[in-house]
Amino acid sequence: MEAKSKSITQTKAKRSELFRKLGPLIALIVLVVVVTFLNTNFINPTNILNLLRQVSVNALIAFGMTFVIITGGIDLSVGSTLALSGALTAGILAAGVPPVVAIFAGLLIGAALGLLNGIVITKGKVAPFIATLATMTIFRGLTLVYTEGNPITGFSDDFTFLFFGRGYLFGIPFPVVLMAIAFGILFVLLHKMTFGRKTFAIGGNENASYIAGIKSDRVKYTVYAISGMMSALAGLILTSRLNSAQPTAGTAYELDAIAAVVIGGTSLAGGKGRIVGTLIGALIIGTLNNGLNLLGVSSFYQQVVRGIVIIIAVLLDRKK
Amino acid sequence: MNIEMKGVTKSFGSNTVLRGVDFNLLAGEVHALMGENGAGKSTLMNIMTGLHKKDDGQIVIDGKEQLFENPKEAENYGISFIHQEMITWPEMTVLENLFMGKEIKTNFGWIKTKDMKNKANNIFKELGINIDFEKQMKTLSVGQQQLVEIAKTLMNDTEVIIMDEPTAALTDREIELLFKIINQLKEKNVAIVYISHRMEEIFKISDRVTVMRDGISISTKPTKETYYDEIVRQMVGRDLEDYYPTIESEKGEVVLEVKELSRSTLFNEISFKLHSGEIIGFSGLMGSGRTEIMRAIFGIDRLEKGEIFIEGKKVEIKTPNDAISKGIGFLTENRKDEGLFLDFSIRDNISMTAFEEFSKYGWINRKEEADFVDLLIKRLTVKTTDMELPASALSGGNQQKVVLAKWIGAGSKVLILDEPTRGVDVGAKKEIYSLMKELTERGVGIIMVSSDLPEVIGVSDRVIVVHEGKIAGELSKESLSEEKIMTLATGGS
Amino acid sequence: MKKLFGLLTIFTMFLLGACGSATLEGEQSDESEKVAEISPDEMTIGLSISTLNNPFFGQLQEGVEDKAEENGTTVRTVDAQDDTATQINGIDDLIQQGVDVLLINPVDSDAITPAIESANAAGIPVITLDRSSEGGEVVTLIASDNVQGGEMAAEHIVELVGENAKVVQLEGTPGASAANERGEGFNNVANEKLDVVDSQSANFSRSEGLTVMENLLQSNSDIDAVFAQNDEMALGAIEAIEAAGLEDIVVIGFDGNEDALAQIEEGRLDATVAQQPYEMGSLAVQAAYDYVSGKDVENVISSPLELMTAE
Repeated sequence: MEAKSKSITQTKAKRSELFRKLGPLIALIVLVVVVTFLNTNFINPTNILNLLRQVSVNALIAFGMTFVIITGGIDLSVGSTLALSGALTAGILAAGVPPVVAIFAGLLIGAALGLLNGIVITKGKVAPFIATLATMTIFRGLTLVYTEGNPITGFSDDFTFLFFGRGYLFGIPFPVVLMAIAFGILFVLLHKMTFGRKTFAIGGNENASYIAGIKSDRVKYTVYAISGMMSALAGLILTSRLNSAQPTAGTAYELDAIAAVVIGGTSLAGGKGRIVGTLIGALIIGTLNNGLNLLGVSSFYQQVVRGIVIIIAVLLDRKK
Repeated sequence: MNIEMKGVTKSFGSNTVLRGVDFNLLAGEVHALMGENGAGKSTLMNIMTGLHKKDDGQIVIDGKEQLFENPKEAENYGISFIHQEMITWPEMTVLENLFMGKEIKTNFGWIKTKDMKNKANNIFKELGINIDFEKQMKTLSVGQQQLVEIAKTLMNDTEVIIMDEPTAALTDREIELLFKIINQLKEKNVAIVYISHRMEEIFKISDRVTVMRDGISISTKPTKETYYDEIVRQMVGRDLEDYYPTIESEKGEVVLEVKELSRSTLFNEISFKLHSGEIIGFSGLMGSGRTEIMRAIFGIDRLEKGEIFIEGKKVEIKTPNDAISKGIGFLTENRKDEGLFLDFSIRDNISMTAFEEFSKYGWINRKEEADFVDLLIKRLTVKTTDMELPASALSGGNQQKVVLAKWIGAGSKVLILDEPTRGVDVGAKKEIYSLMKELTERGVGIIMVSSDLPEVIGVSDRVIVVHEGKIAGELSKESLSEEKIMTLATGGS
Repeated sequence: MKKLFGLLTIFTMFLLGACGSATLEGEQSDESEKVAEISPDEMTIGLSISTLNNPFFGQLQEGVEDKAEENGTTVRTVDAQDDTATQINGIDDLIQQGVDVLLINPVDSDAITPAIESANAAGIPVITLDRSSEGGEVVTLIASDNVQGGEMAAEHIVELVGENAKVVQLEGTPGASAANERGEGFNNVANEKLDVVDSQSANFSRSEGLTVMENLLQSNSDIDAVFAQNDEMALGAIEAIEAAGLEDIVVIGFDGNEDALAQIEEGRLDATVAQQPYEMGSLAVQAAYDYVSGKDVENVISSPLELMTAE
């Protein structure tokens, strides 16, 4: 009798788990069907590639953010990190450094900025929200100082660098290729490797993780460094795509990234989440932006719709 | 107030929890409600207080059929439920907690603090409680919080109080006080339903005992007319002759030795040796420092002085990670906060200390991991259909087995178990004891910290008693008795 | 840390190996340069606006829509919310919809280039409004003569407070061509006849205009006049000046939006160099019709300017 009642609660738990996993995907499919129904241009392959390219920047940032949020933290500095690493990379390119080296350097700068967040949070014991709120304005300020408030332009007409944001590989926009590679690597890191297991453990129960011998500080450094590096990668794509480094680039991008993570079913409380969900979340936001533009919906209403979708996604996620 | 419940049934979906329970409560009695976890005790009480709706049956209060829509209604009627896990506002003061939602105020909503203080003072005086109203709730011990909770129920002329495991976190002195209060309440004709796993308490405080098993009430008897073994037999449905295993295991070399461990006010000059294959019971009152010593050995808290040796070699332990790498495992007393990842799967929980063993270049071999977890689940007889289910879907006893499996999986040579059977039912307790014996047979040394004296006596090879941060004495297996342990624990000799 | 380097290496290796089958945006196709003739009532115009949060661009949008409606033309509008990347994405979406002409009001003159190149590649003619583009092929730029406007403002200050008066300038968003040109015009005159004690950016925003002006007043309390490169900043500056209890400072804005004109009537704002965004929008649609029907279109079309004062 007891065994029977237990197995019932257990299957119930399993079913709600399945719903949690499939919810965002169903939402995306419904959205795609509706938009296609209203405007068949949407499903056009060139528009889909176009859509994916638009999504890539937010998706890359959101991938990094997923790691951070799973540890129970948050990274508000991603937009500023994007701008600062983009501007510094433009400066490095302008100094005549080969593009490949400059791209390397740009990614390292992003990782270093993220690492700084991690150090403030672990060693300084500052709450992630406060720490990254502070570095958000610091990095933005440094960007403005470095660029003197003006966009940096004309630093490179080198093919390799332009290719980074504007290129096509076998007909697929290169930012989309980068997004796919980053997704693959981070998926494995999060779901198949010990590092990912530790990331979840810290967010799930930090005390219990410590007692189980997990060195949470190290995991946190790395997680924030990943977030910084993904922001830098997004920044390089933007810089290349716009052929200029904008001092105000990436303003408020943290909100879109957090939205993508949350729509994807990752819990802001930490310990629970999937990077596939984040990809779907970013696609939902991108489809909304693209679809509403195609449908000619006023940009004012677009913002209203986007907010509503976030709330619906979270409500669906909570429904058991 | 007299309450009579007749033929109460309740199902959640296709899961029948109560199948015709009879229970009656008389004014002025302490009625113990016994049963293993999952027997239906909590569901029955939740039906009485309106949290759940019964499917069938009758609830008659003072000759009139009554049905409460929600616990609030029951409370207004004079029936209060003090849950095992209390709901408090830790950042607010004792006074604010006492009057939460029932503040005494003027018509304009102005809170009359002075009136509230007077009222609370009267009740505290009556109960013999001495707690400062202005203190934050979180600064109180769990026992003190429990007392505040009881005082709170008395605020509104309660006639029936249901207490779920009220003594689980109390010190002996606090238990004494609680029993005194219960006796006072009896005199005032208040009826008390007392749910507990601690058999000694039942015989000490209750007037009648009702035992439940698998959703039915097995028997109701005056406490004087029943005895320990009968209750246990009724609870588990069979005899538990070999409750404590009796296999004598070989003692080997010293695996853990500590010398003169000190940490300012908490403990001083603690030295002892643990052999492989040995179980040492650590006894002492709550707050005597026994848990703090273990936390320091494991590297959670800092040691100010002292040396630790593992298999004769001196080791530095600064973090739990150091301790684990030296072969120490630690099951803490706080299962939910420090042991278990409630939302994580059973698999992830069990392999939490071991997943690096199944990894190459950071890549987890999920197949090997699953085999390993499966083996442990079988060895520890964790009752589950699927290792991917969240740990929160398990009962308390099975959750404890999962935490234990994690430390066994870590390959610990020294296992420190702090209150390993707290909140665990009789059946699972027995399984945990036999598991401990089995581990000692394989040469593991075990330190068991426990407040449950019969358990300490039944399981340990020898017992070290701690009093006010110092070792008050050591008792060998042959000379063990509850009296001797209590004498040492309270500072006698 | 090891993992980070692993990631880095893989990215670079991919990058190095990838150049084989690679093309760049804007290079894919080369449709014919010549645009097929379309009558206005069959035409769809795509309009990309830098931000609709600023009433100036709202009027610009109205100008486009009213003129288009008169002639039966459909307009699809996307709002860039002042973000360069959002603007590029929006323009991509318009190209996907197959609009016949693109009217673009760039957020940033440099960063708009790739979008214009994409439109070129898709064979869609582009007309820019208010701000120019640094690259790509553009049919025409519809803009006020900002340099001339800046000069007008400076001359008016000289008229009101005399030569060598102490003046501060509130600059627009750094890098925006309107900001550069208005500043250039203003400086042309001011360097000779006025004493410019400070010049700082307030990003074309009213709230920043307020705070920047507050800061400027902290260090220079004896100034005679303020030139703000748009009305929004001028209106912010007025609030700061009044809050500081200073009243005889001359404030001149730029754009001539409704709020500014109302404030001039109330006597709070002294003057504004009025642009006519509605007219600008209208001119752009006309240029689109002209271009599509094969008529010659000037490289730059000036939208009229007027100095608005209390008289």
